[in-house]
Amino acid sequence: MPFKVRRRKRESAVPTDSMSDIAFLLIIFFILTTSIRKLTGFKTDLPTADKSVASQKTPTVQLNGGQVRWDDKVISFAELKQKLGDLKLGSKPKGERVVLLDSGPDVAYQNYFEVMAMITSANGVVGILEEEKK
Amino acid sequence: MILKRKRRGPVTLPTASMGDIAFLLIIFFMVCSNFAKESNIKYKPPEAKEVDAVRDAGMSVVMDADGKIYLNGHELDGVDSLKTELEGMLKGKTNDTMREVLFKCDLSVMRKVFEPALGAIVAAGGTAVAVGDKRKRD
Repeated sequence: MPFKVRRRKRESAVPTDSMSDIAFLLIIFFILTTSIRKLTGFKTDLPTADKSVASQKTPTVQLNGGQVRWDDKVISFAELKQKLGDLKLGSKPKGERVVLLDSGPDVAYQNYFEVMAMITSANGVVGILEEEKK
Repeated sequence: MILKRKRRGPVTLPTASMGDIAFLLIIFFMVCSNFAKESNIKYKPPEAKEVDAVRDAGMSVVMDADGKIYLNGHELDGVDSLKTELEGMLKGKTNDTMREVLFKCDLSVMRKVFEPALGAIVAAGGTAVAVGDKRKRD
């Protein structure tokens, strides 16, 4: 006669004691490897104009190499900021806020970026001045 | 009157839910993080004092020191393909903020190299957002 052997069921449990240690180690890893970085910059609105079309009255910043010119006079970046502030562009309608940027082909992006940032922060609209199209 | 001293049981800290809290923190960090798509591209951003915080747009164009163009981390053949790709991505996007394209360029790149890329963003109908670091010193 076959006997049924009743087996005792073993209690099974997943060991979770070290789970919190693992989780906290993961948090520490994420915190240490993350570099919190805020994106900074400015929005550009880049209308273009031919040299022939550009109005004589439109303020123009000339950039050549590392040299900045305003009214054909070499000025420093600090002076340019002052000049742009004097224009009080914020109180003018959008069409009159254009400041033309006339730059040579060998101007590094660093200088270009700096001038564009200055014009934008003075509430100006950067207008790229292009060579006359033949 | 004789007062009986109360027997104090052993003090234990409840740690059962510690794992749950930790995993919730991990999920929070992972959801809030923006993983860098362009960590493989080597470029040095320009600096200026007059920069503000900008929103991380969905599209970003990077130009490295050699003038190579990358769109969302993928290298492109040139300015023409940048324009074509951007036109496709900007199709149907009418909102101004959705048309923003981050432009990250190495500070040493010359105008004759970076301006066509900037022009391609504008020609494709995007609004270029120039990205650079804030200068801390004068």
